[in-house]
Amino acid sequence: MLKIENLHVKLEDENREILKGLSLSVKPGEVHAIMGPNGSGKSTLSYVLAGRDGYEVTEGEAMFNGEDLLAMDPNTRAAKGVFLAFQYPIEIPGVATMQFLKVALNAQRKARGEKELSIPEFMRFVKDRAAKLNISQDMLKRPVNVGFSGGEKKRAEVLQMAVLEPSLCILDETDSGLDIDALKVVADGVNALRSPVRAMIVITHYQRLLDYIVPDFVHVLSAGKIVKSGGKELAHELEKNGYADYAEKVA
Amino acid sequence: MSIALQPTAAEQAFGMSLPHRRMEEWRWTDLRARLDKPYPSIDTAVDEKSVARIMAASPLAGIAKYRAVFVNGKFDATNSTIPALLPSVIPAQAGIHLSIKENRVQSDSRLRGNDDGVDDPLVVLNTSLKPEGVTLHFSSNITVLVEIMHIATNAAPRAVALRNHIEVAAGASATIIETFIGEGDYVLSSVTELELGEGARLDRIKLEWESAKANHLSQVVATLAKDARLNEFTLTSGAALNRQNGTYTFVGQNADAKISGAYLLNGKQHADTCLVVDHKVPHCTSRELFKCVMDDHARGIFQGKVIVRKHAQKTDGKQSSHALLLSETAEFDAKPELEIYADDVVCGHGATSGDINPDHLFYLRSRGIPEAEAKSLLIAAFVGEAFDNVENDDVRAALVNFAEDWLRQK
Repeated sequence: MLKIENLHVKLEDENREILKGLSLSVKPGEVHAIMGPNGSGKSTLSYVLAGRDGYEVTEGEAMFNGEDLLAMDPNTRAAKGVFLAFQYPIEIPGVATMQFLKVALNAQRKARGEKELSIPEFMRFVKDRAAKLNISQDMLKRPVNVGFSGGEKKRAEVLQMAVLEPSLCILDETDSGLDIDALKVVADGVNALRSPVRAMIVITHYQRLLDYIVPDFVHVLSAGKIVKSGGKELAHELEKNGYADYAEKVA
Repeated sequence: MSIALQPTAAEQAFGMSLPHRRMEEWRWTDLRARLDKPYPSIDTAVDEKSVARIMAASPLAGIAKYRAVFVNGKFDATNSTIPALLPSVIPAQAGIHLSIKENRVQSDSRLRGNDDGVDDPLVVLNTSLKPEGVTLHFSSNITVLVEIMHIATNAAPRAVALRNHIEVAAGASATIIETFIGEGDYVLSSVTELELGEGARLDRIKLEWESAKANHLSQVVATLAKDARLNEFTLTSGAALNRQNGTYTFVGQNADAKISGAYLLNGKQHADTCLVVDHKVPHCTSRELFKCVMDDHARGIFQGKVIVRKHAQKTDGKQSSHALLLSETAEFDAKPELEIYADDVVCGHGATSGDINPDHLFYLRSRGIPEAEAKSLLIAAFVGEAFDNVENDDVRAALVNFAEDWLRQK
């Protein structure tokens, strides 16, 4: 599904390389965890895959279902099935969450040549998914993420994921700012979306999240490169020994 | 030292000197230089078909139950639907009294000058153009909407004027719409007086959708008695040149004025709103909120002065103006002023100006919303905060539709 080959990325504004030859291959149904210390390039990877401005790819490629992902607009990527759950979801004053979901879903359906959903169809579709994530009708009426608590923001991200039904979900530090109860709700929401046709990349600093979203593969990202890959047991090893071993390897 | 200036053609036609950029309140809107034609005050032959077409094109067409229509400054009885005027057609509506005046000037002593003893140039201009207008007197709780509509038809350049008087009696309430719409090259001068009695409530919505060549010059003079509530919203999107003055005076305690507006401007449009809110008595609240969108070479200006007189303790006055600039060449100027003589008040102002937040845009696009649609959504959300002050659902929906059309055609 996703094949990243020798990806080099630098910040447009400064001449600093963040990703230095990252390679990763993700197949449908797989859940990959990417762990790494602060500054290793985790968020850069998620933003580059989602198409945010400000990054320059100097070498390598990222193919998504055989197409050049990096050549697409962010909205085209979304319509093709890429979804980034933000570490810090953006507040959009004046745009109601429900309206936002409807516009986004219909824009994606339109881009894929599918019929737009009628309002009653859409309402049923969202209410059902919102209930499972413990998201109230009131929250759906409020502007996107405005005044939401940390936990509400992350739940809202998972709701968007559940409504937009992407084939590749990238979760950037979804555990940050969550207490254990909120983490469980979010993880349950994510687990409910696991499917043989859907892949996930779970980016995290801490092993804790991976107790709830159990990955098939764990990769250690350090100084812009994947320096070690393994099964879920690798996460526990990291929790015990920290990232020091890997930082030394690249130094 | 003053230099005697040769009167311009427009000044000769109006018989007065026009405000210019060396006057503080007019520094951004040099009326003397901008009105570069004579704009005579002449009667224009009216083509009924044009009137019907322009009326139908109004974004607020069909919403108000009762209308007083003026065409090129003259009352149009055919297209007006006001019960007191047309008793045989519509049964008289209890609580609305209306009169039409041909030359309204003599009655308006309240407009004769401000505290500095200087006549407001826009009122002087209006007077010189011998305006027609209506007096609407609301004496009970009126839930139907009443619209005062001015239509300019395409004709030779000329100046037309309107002077309306809205009175809401003690304890009464009403919603009025003022619509300005037209075609061609003209100067529209409008003065609206608002008089709110004790405990009166007035919702006023103004739509300025003049012709692209027009000059819209208006003045609102409002007085609020004890416990009165005024809720105003002005949408400014038409005319090449727009100058809207407003003076709001609290004369009774515990009154409340909410004054809001939105600009949707493009091309070389120029809109300048200049408001004075005068807290003469204690315990009154004023809120000003303007959301201004400027594209291309458009220029928006917001000048707002809040005066709190010495005895007006416990005044709560807030003012904010925010601009969204959609191009490098668009411009916004804000001049907030607080003049406070009382010592126990809460007053504040804020002004911001910026372009679309790239983080907002990326977030929407990352969910599959194409760039143009995402921008429209963000612009609509930006002005939406001001539109939210329109309480009538039909009017608000029609104005939102208008804004969406504007964004699509951009």
